[in-house]
Amino acid sequence: MAAPSHPPSHRRRFLAGLAVALLLGTGAGLALLTASRTADRQQLAAREAVVTLSALTELIERVEAPAAAPAGGLGDELAGLDAAPAEEAAPADGEEEGGMGLGDELAALDAGAEAPAAEPGAPTREAVARFAAEHPEVRSIRVVTFEGIRLEASTDSADTGEKAAPRRLDREEKDLYDQGQRLRAAVDENRETVAAGGSPVSDEISVQEQEDGGFVLGAPLEREGGVVGLVQIRTAPNPVVQAPTPPWLPALLAWLAPVAVLALLGLALGERRALLAGAALVLLLAGLAGYAVTAGGVRAAERRDTADRLAAHITAERETTAKLLAALGPADAKPLRPETWDRNSYRAPFGLVTAEGTLDAGKLGALVEADAGRLRRFVGVIALLAAILLAFVGFGGAATVGRNLVRYRVAYAYTVPAMVGMILLVFFPFFYGITLSFTNANIYNSNKPIVDLWVGVDNFIDILSDVAVVRSTPDGWVFNYNNFYWTLGFNVVWTITNVVIGVSLGLLLALILNTKGLAFRPLYRVVLILPWAVPSYISALVFQGMFHQQFGVVNQFRQIAGLDPVAWFDGPFTSFLAVLTTNGWLSFSFMMVVSLGALQSIPADLYEAAKVDGASRWQQFRSITLPSLKPALVPAVILSVIWTFNQFNVIFLVSGGQPAGATEILITQAYKLAFEQYRYGYAAAYSTVIFLILLAYGLFQNRASQATEAIGE
Amino acid sequence: MSRQRSEEMPHWPLHLFLLLMVGITLYPLLWVITIAFSGGQSLAIANLPADAGLADRLRAVVPWPEHVSTSNFRSLFADQPFARWLLNSAVVSAATTVLGVFLASTAAYAFSRFRFPGRRAGLMSFLVSQMFPGVLMMIPLYIIIVQWLGLGSSYIGLVLVYTVTAIPFCVWMMKGYFDTIPRELEESALIDGASQAMIFFRIVLPLAKPAVAVTALFSFMTAWNEYIQAATFMNKEEMYTAPVGLRFFVGGFSQQWGYFAAGSIIAAIPIMVLFMFLQKYLVSGLTAGAVKG
Repeated sequence: MAAPSHPPSHRRRFLAGLAVALLLGTGAGLALLTASRTADRQQLAAREAVVTLSALTELIERVEAPAAAPAGGLGDELAGLDAAPAEEAAPADGEEEGGMGLGDELAALDAGAEAPAAEPGAPTREAVARFAAEHPEVRSIRVVTFEGIRLEASTDSADTGEKAAPRRLDREEKDLYDQGQRLRAAVDENRETVAAGGSPVSDEISVQEQEDGGFVLGAPLEREGGVVGLVQIRTAPNPVVQAPTPPWLPALLAWLAPVAVLALLGLALGERRALLAGAALVLLLAGLAGYAVTAGGVRAAERRDTADRLAAHITAERETTAKLLAALGPADAKPLRPETWDRNSYRAPFGLVTAEGTLDAGKLGALVEADAGRLRRFVGVIALLAAILLAFVGFGGAATVGRNLVRYRVAYAYTVPAMVGMILLVFFPFFYGITLSFTNANIYNSNKPIVDLWVGVDNFIDILSDVAVVRSTPDGWVFNYNNFYWTLGFNVVWTITNVVIGVSLGLLLALILNTKGLAFRPLYRVVLILPWAVPSYISALVFQGMFHQQFGVVNQFRQIAGLDPVAWFDGPFTSFLAVLTTNGWLSFSFMMVVSLGALQSIPADLYEAAKVDGASRWQQFRSITLPSLKPALVPAVILSVIWTFNQFNVIFLVSGGQPAGATEILITQAYKLAFEQYRYGYAAAYSTVIFLILLAYGLFQNRASQATEAIGE
Repeated sequence: MSRQRSEEMPHWPLHLFLLLMVGITLYPLLWVITIAFSGGQSLAIANLPADAGLADRLRAVVPWPEHVSTSNFRSLFADQPFARWLLNSAVVSAATTVLGVFLASTAAYAFSRFRFPGRRAGLMSFLVSQMFPGVLMMIPLYIIIVQWLGLGSSYIGLVLVYTVTAIPFCVWMMKGYFDTIPRELEESALIDGASQAMIFFRIVLPLAKPAVAVTALFSFMTAWNEYIQAATFMNKEEMYTAPVGLRFFVGGFSQQWGYFAAGSIIAAIPIMVLFMFLQKYLVSGLTAGAVKG
C-alpha cells in the first residue's frame, strides 16, 4: 500500500494522532465550559425574573384575598357561587371563581376589617403600582382576571387614558386571556397527573425570552386553590452579556504536555508500533483527565457564584415585598414564603435558597455533584471518540482516506457543494422528523425536550393496527375512509392509473412529434408543453372550478349532451375521476418532454444504418428507439411514480379528500394530521410509514430495472 | 426523398390525434382567460336563465366572456399587493435556478465521469431523498431554517429549501444525459492539454445544453410553483410569493375567481416565456453532430 521509497513512520503517525485527538478532547471541553457559562447566565436571568414574578403574584394574592369579601355586590355573587366547592382537584369546568368556602370567607371578613378599598381590584392596582415603582427593571405589569375578562391592573404604557385598567379586555387582547386560560388548564392537568402518581407535564409559568434579552413571563393568579387570573410581567431589555472566555491555559497545557512527552518517548521507543500505541493512549487519557479535573473545579466555582447571586436577588425581593405587604396588606399577614419563589415552570420550588436567604448546602452540593457527574459522562464519551480518532490516525486509516481525498480530489470537489446542502437541509431534518415520530409532540408542547414527549412506537401501533376498513351495517357496507389502509389502497390505485396514462400518452406524443416532415411540429409541441408550464396549483384550482356542480363547465357540457349534472365531489368514484382528469392533464407534458429530448439525442445515422440493413419500423423501434430512451426514461418513470404517489396539490386543492376523506392520499392525510389537527408526532409517524412504503418500492424498482447496473459499472 | 415518403404512414391521423390533444390542452387555459377578462368574480362563463335552452348552454361553455373588461387586472395591482408578491417569487426562483443548476451539474458530472469511493452511496442518497415525504420534512425544516438560522420570511431561507428540493432530480437527469455524451471528446481534449475545469465548462456543459435547459427549467418551476413551503416559511405579508398570495383569492371564504384568474395569468406568463426561450436548446443531435464533425 505504502509508497516503496518512503515507508510510513509510526512514530510520526501516533504523534499526529495524539495531537488531533487531544485537540478534539480539550476543544470539546472548552466549548462545553463556554456553553454552560452562557447557559448559566441566561438561566440566572430567567430565574431572577421568575422570582420577581412570584414575589409579585404572592403580594397580589395576599392583598386581594381578604378584600374581595366585604365588597357588597360581588360578595352576594360569590355567595351564590359558593354552592359549588371549587377546592376539588379538577375545577376544570370554568367555575374557577368562588373558591372560598363560606367559613373561610367569614374568617377573612373578620381579619380584613380594615379593607383599604371598597372597589374590588383596587388593592391589586395599588400593589402593582407600588411594586412597579420599586422595580425599575420591570417594564410593565398586567393583571388579568377571568371573571368579566377584566384587565385588573396594568402599568403598561399602552394602558393609559381611555384604556386604563380596570376595564374589559379588547378583542385584540384575546391572546392575553388565552394565555391565562392555558396556564389554568396546565395547573389543573398537572394536579390531576400528580394525583394519579405521574409527574407534571405542562408549564404553569410561561417564560418567553425576547430578542432584546428581556423576558415576558406569565404566572397563574390563584385564590383559595383555584386559578382566577393571570399576572404578566415584561422585563426591561437585558443586553446579552458575552460570557467571559473560560481559562484556556489549562487546555493548552493539557494539549501540549502529552504531545511533548510522546515526542520524547518516541525517541526511545523508535518505530515499535504496539508500544507507541499504548503510550499514546495512556498520554491521551492522562491529558484529558487532567483537563477534566481543572474544568470541574472551574464549573463548581461558577455554580456557587450563580447560586450566591440568586440568593442575593431573593433576599432583596423578600425585603421589598415584605415592606409593601406591611403597607398594603392585612395587619396579621402571615410571613411571605420567599423560599418558594425560585421555582421551575411547574411551580415546584428548586429549594436552593432558604426562607432566610441563605443557600441550602445540601442542595448546592447535589448540584455541584450533578455537574461533576455530567462532566464525567461527557469526558468518557469524548475520550472514547478521541481514542478512536487516535487509532484511526495512528494505524494509518487517516492516511488512506487522505490519499483517497487527494487522489479523487477533483471528483470530491465537484460533489461536495451539493452533498453538504443535502446533508444539512435534507438528511438531518429527515432524521429529526423520524425522531419526532416516536413522540406525542403537538403544537402546544413542541418546545420541550424530546425525551419528555417520548411515547415509543405507540403512534405506529395506532396507525397500523387498525384494519377495520369496512364494516357491515344494516344499511350495507360502510367504509372508514380515514383508515390508513383505505388511504394506502386509494393511493396505489391513484399512482398506477396516473403513471400509466402519463407515460403512454407522453411517449406516444413524443414519437408522433419526432416524425420527420410532420407539418406544424413546433406549434404542436409548444401547445402540448403548456400544461407543464402552468403552475400545478393553478391548474388544480382551475379544474376544481370547472368541476363545480352548479357553475362548472364540465356539467354544462354534460347538459348539452342531455345528461344530468353530477356532484363530482360527493361520490368516491366521481371524485376520483375528477382528480384523475386533473392530474392526467398536467402530467403528460413532462413525460413528453423527457421522451422527446431522449429521442432527439439518438444519432440519425443509427436509423440510416438500420434502413440500409433492411430493418422494419417496428424493428427500429425495438432495437434503437427503446434502448436509447431507457437512460432518460427509467429515472423519469421512477421519479414520476414517487411524485404521483406524493401529488399533494391536485388532491389537496381539487377534491380536498372529499367525500369524507375517500380521495385522500397518504401525504395529504399526513398534512391534515400535522397542520389541521396539530398532531406533529402522530403525523411524523404517518409520514415515516409513507417513507418506508416508498423505500420498499424504490428497492424493488431498483432491482427490477437495470438502474443498479447503470450506477455500478 | 419521395420514395422514402411513401414508406411512412400518412400524416392525417396523427394530425387528428394531435388536434384533439391540443383542444383538451387549451380549453382550461381559455377558460381561465375568459374568467380573467370577464370583469367579475364568478366562475361561470355566462349566467344561465332558469329555462336555459341549448343556445344558452352552448354560450356557457364557449370560452369568451360576455363583457370584455380588464378591471380584474387593474385592481389586482391597484388594490392588492400583487406586484410585490410577483417580485418575491421572481427573486426566489431565479436564485434557486442559478444555485440549483450549478450544484447539480457539477455533482452529476462527477458521478458520470469519475469512479471514486462513496460514488454509489452518494447517487443512491439522492434517489432515496426523493422519497422523503414533504410533510415529514416540513416540521424539522421549519425549526432549522426559522428558529435556528433565523431565516424565516427571508429570501435566503426559501431559496435554500427550494434548491435542495430540486437538486436530486437535476443530478439524476443530468447524469443520465452526461452518460450519453461520448468520452472521446474529453479524452482528446485532455491529450490537447485542457484542464479538468476547462473540459467541464468548455466542452461538456455546452454539449449538455438540452439537459441543462431541462434542469434549469425544472429548478425554476419548482420554486415558482411551490405553495406549501412558501406559505410556511413566509409569514410576513410583504414576503408572500405569488402562489401564497393567489391562494388568498379563492381560499377560505372569499371566492374571487376573477382576481384569481387574472393573477394566475400574470403568474404563469414568466414561466411560459422562460420555457419558450429555452426551447431552442432542446434540439436534436448536438452530441451526435459534435462527435461526427
